Amino acid sequence: MVSSPTNVTNGVRPVGSMQTPLHERLALWAFRAPLIFMVLFFAIPMAMTVVFSVFERTMFWMEPGFTLTAYENFFFSARLGNFLNSMKYSLISVAICFVIGFPISVFVRKSIPQVAQHRVVLLFILPFMVSEIIRVFALRPVLQRNGLMNTALTNMGIIDEPITALLYTHTSVVIGEVMSFLPFIIFSGFLAMEAVPKFIFEVCDDLGVGPWRRFKDVILPLAAPGIFAGSVFIFVNGLGVALLPNILGGAGAVNAGLIATQAISALDFPLAMAVSAIMMATLMTLLWIGHKLFDLTKILTPLS
Amino acid sequence: MTFQTPPAVEVRNLAKHYGDFVALKNVNVTIAAGEYFVLLGPSGGGKTTLLRTIGGFQKPTSGDVFLHGKSVGHLPPDKRPTTMVFQAYALFPHMNVTQNVGYGLKVAGLPKAQIADKVAHALDQVGLTKFAQRKPHELSGGQQQRVQLARAIVLDRDILLLDEPLAALDAQLRKDMCLELKHLQEKVGITFIHVTHNQEEAMTVADRIALIANGDLVEVGRARDIYRAPEKSFTASFVGENNVLKGKVSDANGVSVTVDVAGAKLQVAKRDLPVSTGQNVTLSIRSECVALETVNDSNAPTDGLSMLGAYDESVYLGLTTSHLVRLPDGTEMVSRIIADADDTLPVNGAPVRLRWKPTDIRLHVE
Ligand SMILES: Nc1ncnc2c1ncn2[C@@H]1O[C@H](COP(=O)(O)OP(=O)(O)OP(=O)(O)O)[C@@H](O)[C@H]1O
Ligand SMILES: [Mg+2]
Repeated sequence: MVSSPTNVTNGVRPVGSMQTPLHERLALWAFRAPLIFMVLFFAIPMAMTVVFSVFERTMFWMEPGFTLTAYENFFFSARLGNFLNSMKYSLISVAICFVIGFPISVFVRKSIPQVAQHRVVLLFILPFMVSEIIRVFALRPVLQRNGLMNTALTNMGIIDEPITALLYTHTSVVIGEVMSFLPFIIFSGFLAMEAVPKFIFEVCDDLGVGPWRRFKDVILPLAAPGIFAGSVFIFVNGLGVALLPNILGGAGAVNAGLIATQAISALDFPLAMAVSAIMMATLMTLLWIGHKLFDLTKILTPLS
Repeated sequence: MTFQTPPAVEVRNLAKHYGDFVALKNVNVTIAAGEYFVLLGPSGGGKTTLLRTIGGFQKPTSGDVFLHGKSVGHLPPDKRPTTMVFQAYALFPHMNVTQNVGYGLKVAGLPKAQIADKVAHALDQVGLTKFAQRKPHELSGGQQQRVQLARAIVLDRDILLLDEPLAALDAQLRKDMCLELKHLQEKVGITFIHVTHNQEEAMTVADRIALIANGDLVEVGRARDIYRAPEKSFTASFVGENNVLKGKVSDANGVSVTVDVAGAKLQVAKRDLPVSTGQNVTLSIRSECVALETVNDSNAPTDGLSMLGAYDESVYLGLTTSHLVRLPDGTEMVSRIIADADDTLPVNGAPVRLRWKPTDIRLHVE
């Protein structure tokens, strides 16, 4: 059917004279929703953290003002050293989790029948059903002076005297972090291996690519986005989760999360805010440096 | 002293079982060096299994594979003189074309300059020089398969295994790539073993074809022979468009045999086959060799080279038209003719006569 040409040219809906239909306006808001979410729950709280960190400390709360006391308190005390140490040990935890966890992901992907893979991965997530406090507390009798570990090592004749450095030190915090966060790297590694097609292994067989090269040249670059995500997650939690150093740590073996928690217990809210702000700034700087060094966009999209 | 080069591939009594399931039973085949050999057969026949066993990607249950006269049963894929081109676009997604092609050489520890030379040469051979810097996802399917070819030939191994390399391409591109493959093989002069279930593809590229079905190697022969003079009735039914007729031998004395098919007595050359009277046999005639003519009387022909039937329908296929004719016993026969379907056709059910030349009908006993 041919409609009259005048109808077509004049049939355009006059702009502005009519209200856009409701569903179109709703659709528009749906697109904006993530932005609103980010502003409400990330940008505003982050800005408030920074603002509060320069407020004056009062007896029980704080009042508007501008002072850098909180930052002085952080930078010119043992807190700075502790903070840097906790970054170091978080990195160590990330590395250990990766070394233990990623091969497990590769193994599950490569050697377990397709139908069983997801069930096997679920097995690794089962420990999460137990409360984290209980899990972490349970490490104490394992690691303490007369604990399971020391007894076992002594009985096997590997050590003569119990190792006291196992508990209330950075070592125990790292052990706790590895135990708590290992499933994350296994899971993210498992998902990351989705980006590594199975045929790749046969091609490698055909070309005679040895296991190390195969890992370095093929698996790692392809799985990098997932591994990166898992590693950042573990690193951030290593820095921020106060629970682990609270239960397993000791003098000096604290992390940013515990420093902030302790500040809150001491009712020093500006200090707690400052620690959080410093943590955010550190993470952003690290990401920025990482981006400059390795071009994170490239790591996150290895196929383009 | 007579010196004979051993065949590129010799497969002896090869069998492969998956639990109770027999994927290959007792396969024997010999492939000469420099030959373009095609494994053709229906899906699930065992072609991939045979190819992968030759390449060392899986172990046979029993039997041996010899490559250039040496038993290779214990060798992994990279230690064999074979290399594989996979069906899917099996390229490293994060490497560009040059890196993909050169990776095998890098792993082998060749110096950089030599790698660059060889890669450039291989890319030139498959016509991809312009695409050297592209990533796989920036290439078409055909181009990706060419990268795989380059990656394989650059290794200088002299047996190339191709598992349905063109299956994912569209019909036109597949035709072009077929010819390209053939020319590439002639250029590099190495042995190609190519798996496909597409007979046109097989015909285009093959020096020789092996038919594989149900784990059996049914028949091996030159492409032309497989098409024109199939030995087994399975070959006849799978290759080309053959009419396959079942019948009973009524006279087997002499150079030709008389077979009762749907009430007609047909003559067929005996070719020294072991047949005896009363035996059930199969006859095959390619549909393009069957001529169709309308008849008025319904007297059964007695020349032994024609049959009567009732016209059923025609199927217009562009270049040819297939005429379907129903025999008295219900079997359908096809007569394929290069002609336009505009010609006046017999009406449905009209009596027609199908005839052929004595050389076009073949006897199969098995
Ligand atoms: N790992 C396996 N376990 C059990 N059965 C298998 C396995 N691999 C193959 N088969 C069976 O062996 C038979 C032959 O398989 P193969 O892949 O060799 O067939 P093919 O001729 O290549 O078929 P297609 O043309 O579909 O690729 C099939 O019936 C298949 O189901
Ligand atoms: Mg196959």
